[in-house]
Parts: sequence; structure tokens; C-alpha cells
Amino acid sequence: MKKLLLTTVVLSTLMSNIAFATQTIKANVNGMVCAFCAQGIEKKMRALSQTQDVYVNLKQRVVAVELKEGQALSNDQVKSIIKDAGYDVTSIEVTDHTVSHIKAELEAKQESK
Amino acid sequence: MYHTRIKTLLTASAVMCSVSAHSAPMGFSESFMAMGDFNNNWRELNMNYATTPRDAFGVGATYMRADDNMKSRTLEEFTYTRLIQRWNLPHAQANLWFQGGIGALQGLDKTLAENHRFDKVMVTPGVQFDYETTRLYFQAAHRLYRATDINHDFTSLRAGFSFYESEYDKTQPWFILEARNMNGLSEKIEVTPMLRLINKNYFVEAGVNNSREPRLNFMYIF
Repeated sequence: MKKLLLTTVVLSTLMSNIAFATQTIKANVNGMVCAFCAQGIEKKMRALSQTQDVYVNLKQRVVAVELKEGQALSNDQVKSIIKDAGYDVTSIEVTDHTVSHIKAELEAKQESK
Repeated sequence: MYHTRIKTLLTASAVMCSVSAHSAPMGFSESFMAMGDFNNNWRELNMNYATTPRDAFGVGATYMRADDNMKSRTLEEFTYTRLIQRWNLPHAQANLWFQGGIGALQGLDKTLAENHRFDKVMVTPGVQFDYETTRLYFQAAHRLYRATDINHDFTSLRAGFSFYESEYDKTQPWFILEARNMNGLSEKIEVTPMLRLINKNYFVEAGVNNSREPRLNFMYIF
């Protein structure tokens, strides 16, 4: 009985961690200089069922796509969408930070310059 | 003589720098773009649909007239826009575009004796080059407006700067200076200083030209 209880607790903890794990794909993009022209990236990303939130930073040339819990999106898919919107991805990474966190981090970086 | 030289210079610069009245003349793939350009002598409304990231098909209507109002033209055309080349740089973007159309031209030439009306088929191929950073903007465009015995080629040069950089979701104000000419309709070089406001949802420009006439441009993607 004790073993069963322990297993249940461990499993629920693991499941809960998985369920609440944030996954954000952060890309550095070349050519992104105008908000009117870059709106295609945001609209295409938001149209995906996996997307929770999108953040675009023109000064830092960053596009960040936060995924919904349990949803997956490959780096290649993100690259392809950005490419189709007319821009080039120079680097891409997956982070466990939320879009809000990335936004705050980049804005703080800009202010400190 | 002076105007002829300026016109030649404008045309040469446009062709050399490889150039239109707008920023990017099409939206992202599978989007519609509506564009308008209005003043006394030139009123243009266009809409296109981007079938790919590089191709857009659309329709347009243009009204143009001479400074003295003795000539006027109305054109309804089918248009094609092609992004020939894009250069994505770390802090800049440059583009070379083809814009062309074919349509029906209705003309009116007034003389003291009579009003001569005519209908012709007009073709309008042209190129545009633009270079932009978050603070600077340059554009050159040259487009032919040709029909039998008609030449209303259009040339424009634009340059400007933004007052400050802004966030993606904030409106960014720009100062833009444009010089343009419509061959066969106006001997003048129309010079217009404009205030441009760019937001992620809209693009508008407003100014007053060197003939003290108001000018308004807009673009909208949906």
C-alpha cells in the first residue's frame, strides 16, 4: 500500500512537472526592420494550434513562440514559417522561459544600453 | 531645360538604383493587401493577394490628370507583383520588385476646338528597389504606363528617416521626402514631404506637395 502511494505521488509530481513545463522557441532573425512588414510572422505563428503566445522584438531581431502545454513544434517548422514570411533565421533555440520572461529580459537589455 | 535634366536624372537614378509609390507592394503569403495613393492629379487604389511569399495577383484602378486639367486618364488593370530578390541583413532589408499590369485605359484630351475621347489597352511594367533599416529608408521606382501613342511613365524617388526606434507593437513615426514625375501629364517634379506612421496593423502617409496640394497614402494587410 505504501509503495502504491509513493508511486502515485512520484508519478503525479512528474506528470505535474510535465504538464506545467513551458517550452518556447526563440529565433534570431535577419531582415526584420519594420513592424508592418513583420506582422506576417506573428499572424502565421498565432494561427498555429500549438501556439500560446508570440513575441517579436525588432531591435534585438528576436521572434519567440511559446507553446501550449503538451504541444510540440519543430525548429524546422518555425524556420519555415519565418522564411515564408520573407526573413532569414540565423539561429534558433528551445528554452523553458515564457514569452513574458523573454520580453522582460530583452527590454531590460535594451534599457541598459 | 532644367526640368528635363531633373527628369532625366530622376529616371536614371531610378533605373540605376534599380524602383514605386509604396513600401513593400505585397503582403505575406496568403494575405490580401489594399493600397491607396491620393492627391489631385493621381488617385490610385490597388488590392492584391499573395499566392506565394514572392508572387501576388491583383486589381487596380488609377485616375491621372494633367496639371492644367486638359488631359485625364482612367485605368482599370489586372496586376502582378513579383519579389525578384530580397536581401536580409542583420540590421537592414533590401528588395527588388517587379510590378506590372494590363488593363483598359479611357482617355480625354481637351482642346479649344473639341474634347477627344479614346479607349486603349495599357500595359504597366516596372521595377522598384527599396532599402530599409529601423531608422533609414530609401526607395526608387520606375514604371512604364504605355498604350499606343501614349507614354505616361512614372518615376519616383523616396528617402526618409524615423524619429526614433520603436517596439514592434508601437506606432513608429517617419519623415519621408518623395520626388516623382508622370511623363506626358506633368512637366513638374512633384515633391512631397510626408509624415509616415507605421504600425504592425497599418501604414499611412500624409503630406502637402510643392503645389500645396494634400497627399494621402495607405496600406493595409488582412
